[in-house]
Amino acid sequence: MHPLNWAIVIAYLLYVMIDGVRRARHTSDLEGYFLASRSLPWWAVGLSVMATQLSAVTMIGTTGQGATDGMRFIQFYFGLPLAMVLLGVTLVPFLHRAKVYTAYEYLERRFDAKTRSLTALLFLLSRGMSCGTIIAAPGVVFSAVFGWPLGWSVALMGIPTVIYTVLGGVQAVTWADVKQMVLIVVAMSAMVVVLLVRIPIAPGDALEVAGAAGRLRAFDFSFNLTNTYTFWSGIIGGTFLMLSYFGTDQSQVQRYLTARSVDEARSSLLMSAYWKIPLQALILLVGILVFVFYQYTAPPLLFNPAHEKQVRDARPAAYQALEGRYAAALAARRSAADRLVESPDAPARAAVTAREAEVTAVRAEALDLAQEVTGQPSRDVNYVIPRFVLDHLPLGLAGLFIAGVMAAAMSSIAAELNSLATSTVIDFYRRWVRPEGTDAHFLTVSKFATMGWGLFACVVATYAATLGSLIEVVNRFGSFFYGSILGVFLLAMIPSAGAAGAFVGLIAGMAAVAAVNFGAPEVSFLWHNVIGAVVVVVVGTAISAVGGRRKAGVGG
Amino acid sequence: MTEPTEDRARFRRTLARVMTVQVVTLLLLWLLQSRYSS
Repeated sequence: MHPLNWAIVIAYLLYVMIDGVRRARHTSDLEGYFLASRSLPWWAVGLSVMATQLSAVTMIGTTGQGATDGMRFIQFYFGLPLAMVLLGVTLVPFLHRAKVYTAYEYLERRFDAKTRSLTALLFLLSRGMSCGTIIAAPGVVFSAVFGWPLGWSVALMGIPTVIYTVLGGVQAVTWADVKQMVLIVVAMSAMVVVLLVRIPIAPGDALEVAGAAGRLRAFDFSFNLTNTYTFWSGIIGGTFLMLSYFGTDQSQVQRYLTARSVDEARSSLLMSAYWKIPLQALILLVGILVFVFYQYTAPPLLFNPAHEKQVRDARPAAYQALEGRYAAALAARRSAADRLVESPDAPARAAVTAREAEVTAVRAEALDLAQEVTGQPSRDVNYVIPRFVLDHLPLGLAGLFIAGVMAAAMSSIAAELNSLATSTVIDFYRRWVRPEGTDAHFLTVSKFATMGWGLFACVVATYAATLGSLIEVVNRFGSFFYGSILGVFLLAMIPSAGAAGAFVGLIAGMAAVAAVNFGAPEVSFLWHNVIGAVVVVVVGTAISAVGGRRKAGVGG
Repeated sequence: MTEPTEDRARFRRTLARVMTVQVVTLLLLWLLQSRYSS
């Protein structure tokens, strides 16, 4: 990469770190460190909520998915706006008015200590692991693209993030998120502009080519439990996932607990309700335009440069033969696209679809060969955008994009480290180990807890590299517990529900999700949230009713 | 604390606004799909 691009990346890293350290002055007590003394404006909290959810996986994986699979992925977010509105009238006022540090603290007040501890433990387990995955996702890609050891990539993002999160607490995390969100949107918008300039056809014709290749299909109305990206999975499964994530996951709950009032907390969530789907469409559009760009500029057969080199060295004849067939398929696809632009009729569209299928078939063979040679799943989709950025973006913009990817990773990691430390200290250390400690003592312990989780995340990141698809791994970790934890919070709103019902219901919900996960692994993980939440509410209500009747019987 | 009726009215207004934006976005995506997809 050009030195100017590196200068932009380094300047960004330094700026975020220095600004974070500057915020440390405002965090002299525990409430300031974890909740910014409940003083932050709604727009900063709203941007922080969005930045936490938008990780580097989104910047690299989702754009790549746009290029290879089109707009289909957007259905995943169809349930988000409704979930945000529902949270705004249910859990947000509950949690904000309860003046709690963590969502799980509220469960002890409503049920008992063991329900609180179990939900907090599940959060620590799932988020602790996923935090490592979030650093690993861009780390793996940077290592392959720049030829670094994975440890360097992990350290480059991990160390500055840990420093500003440890020193500045939630203040540093939130204000860094605001800048990082702006950087991400600027980088993405600049990519769209550059792509529109670089693609040698009019924007309308570009959409015509993308549409003919199936990249503009945003809706799939089939009702299929095994398919994650359908309208119904998004609306039903997506609503439950978003309710769980934004309503019960401490990494998100802590964002809006820092807001000045209940109304500001609600408004911060509504920012996502309004903007998440358009932003996601912008991100997928970048991928779709990259796909159109590669109609007119020959793309590499394998986007992962490390795999490309290994395959070329190990099986030169086979790879060369595939390259020959790939070049012929690309030329035919280009001709079909040219014909479509000249006369956009049904036969021309069908020709583009057929030529695209030929290109995809050759690439599938190359991906199989890469898997055979390297012994690793290729995950080539995650390299489409980084490779395009480094090969084709103008000077400066590549640096801006790489900084944007780092910003996305760091904003998610920082929020998670901060929330992991909060739950460790508030739900475990202060609750069970040393309830009588002073504020200064807890503040010191909190800083060490943040540092410890940062170290753990970096170690996990180094080993998470070989886990499955970067996008789905992050969601899978959460979805195993998410629905059941949401079920407990839903149960908390039912006046007749008791502590025994909540605890047994939680166990039953997780057992049901585990049974579905192992018994019917083809069922999409989006449905796990629905199953978990429903089982907890049904079992929890039933147990509470039985317990209530027994008590009434004993009393009578 | 606000009155429950005021809360309900505000919720209905918010729900209507958010859902309107959602429907308009989905409509645009649908138009894009039906206009350009073969």
